[in-house]
Amino acid sequence: MRRAAWILFAVVLMLREPSAQGSPDISGFWELSFDSRHVPTASLAPAVTPAVLAKQADQDGSAIRWCNFLGLPMAMDSPRPINIRQGRREIVINFETVATPRHLYFRSAHANMDVFDPTSNGDSIARWEGDTLVVDTIGFDGAKGVTAIPGGGYRTSDSHLIERYRLMSGGTVLSVTFTWEDPRVFRTPHSYEFRYVRAPRLYEAQPPLACNPFDEARAAFLEVP
Amino acid sequence: MRIARVITLLSLAFATTLAAQQQPAASVPDLEGGWVRVDVEGSGNFTGLAAKFPRAVLTPAAQAAAAEQAKRAAQPRFDFARDPSRPKGAGEGYVVTDGNCSLPGGVEPNSAAFHVVQSQEQVLIVRENPGLPRTIYMDGRAHPDLSRWTPTAVGHSTGRYEAGALVVETIGLTSGNVTAGGWRAPETRLTERYRVSPDGRRLTIAYTWADPKIYVKPHTYEIVAERTPPGSWAFESWCDSSDPSQRLSIVPPPQNK
Repeated sequence: MRRAAWILFAVVLMLREPSAQGSPDISGFWELSFDSRHVPTASLAPAVTPAVLAKQADQDGSAIRWCNFLGLPMAMDSPRPINIRQGRREIVINFETVATPRHLYFRSAHANMDVFDPTSNGDSIARWEGDTLVVDTIGFDGAKGVTAIPGGGYRTSDSHLIERYRLMSGGTVLSVTFTWEDPRVFRTPHSYEFRYVRAPRLYEAQPPLACNPFDEARAAFLEVP
Repeated sequence: MRIARVITLLSLAFATTLAAQQQPAASVPDLEGGWVRVDVEGSGNFTGLAAKFPRAVLTPAAQAAAAEQAKRAAQPRFDFARDPSRPKGAGEGYVVTDGNCSLPGGVEPNSAAFHVVQSQEQVLIVRENPGLPRTIYMDGRAHPDLSRWTPTAVGHSTGRYEAGALVVETIGLTSGNVTAGGWRAPETRLTERYRVSPDGRRLTIAYTWADPKIYVKPHTYEIVAERTPPGSWAFESWCDSSDPSQRLSIVPPPQNK
């Protein structure tokens, strides 16, 4: 009996790590490589006609032309490393591109959508399911940023995104599965996976590449039909 | 009796486990979350926030650089704002920006909330509006050689925890103005000390600027921020350069005769 008690006591002591250390830590600079994307073709809803897609593409083109904050999902497809920092109450993801940071709050409920101003990144809440971080996002603004979703379709104000983050290969790879739900856009939930590679330990964050909406040569380049 | 001792032992262990999960280590301040700068002096406006700060004592060379910068800043930045003192008519906006949404950011908070996250190897401070984040390396790395560094508005920062405070050292900043009459160059060293009040609700950041070429003595002041309420979230300060109203601040409406 006494031995069992001491074993139990030792187990409890081993668990005495703060919660952030008790779960995997996905902090780091993470980058995509040429073979990092597994993107099936989305099954689009009947209402998503070629005309609708063309209109959406025009909206996205304007957002790029005017250096708008990209928002999701494009910010997560950055050509530069993304900086993920895991704290005790939230995870912040910062981008070296024209995008506002993401805040993934360890909370059980979303913000009250009656008072939440929709954003290009939405309202994200996170929880651990074993070694997988599950992030649930709503509260998007379909009129802000670049809305195109890899594989087809686009983000609207009604979109619901579920992401699953999981470390692989001894922590050198971060798998993120994105699943978009939006009956107006998709027949069935649309999922794809990115596998980010951990950047070298001494990587230094860089300022984002400049984006000047008043650069006429750039504008002409982007507006060529 | 033995069972009672075991239960007591386990209860204590669980209690301490829970406590450890709720609180960070004692020497590590809990900075995580949103913060908003507060006007502790009752200044009532942005300019007044620094009115009572000790003024920087600059070397003659730094005084000349700061005066040159002040001269440039006095020039209207845009053709359509040549006469900012002239009252504007109805529908004619007071132009305050060129519509470009890119802002350089800086080491001090601005009017928007700022958000701190503390990971093991890095403290990250991000704003709600455009501007570079503060990336503070806690992994023991050294500052880069400035001959191989492109100065930025946030420079290169390393940090450590010391006596319950986060201490941040920064170099590699772009040349420019510093609060309360100061000046800075890439070689200037900024030391910040982030201290949280015992109730966790207030954050005091002490800034000390040191550079023998610029300051006769180190230039020091403090700002205070208040923690955003539990359950609040970061805003997104949206900016669209294609929106003409983005270039205007106040547009006087038609007046009743």
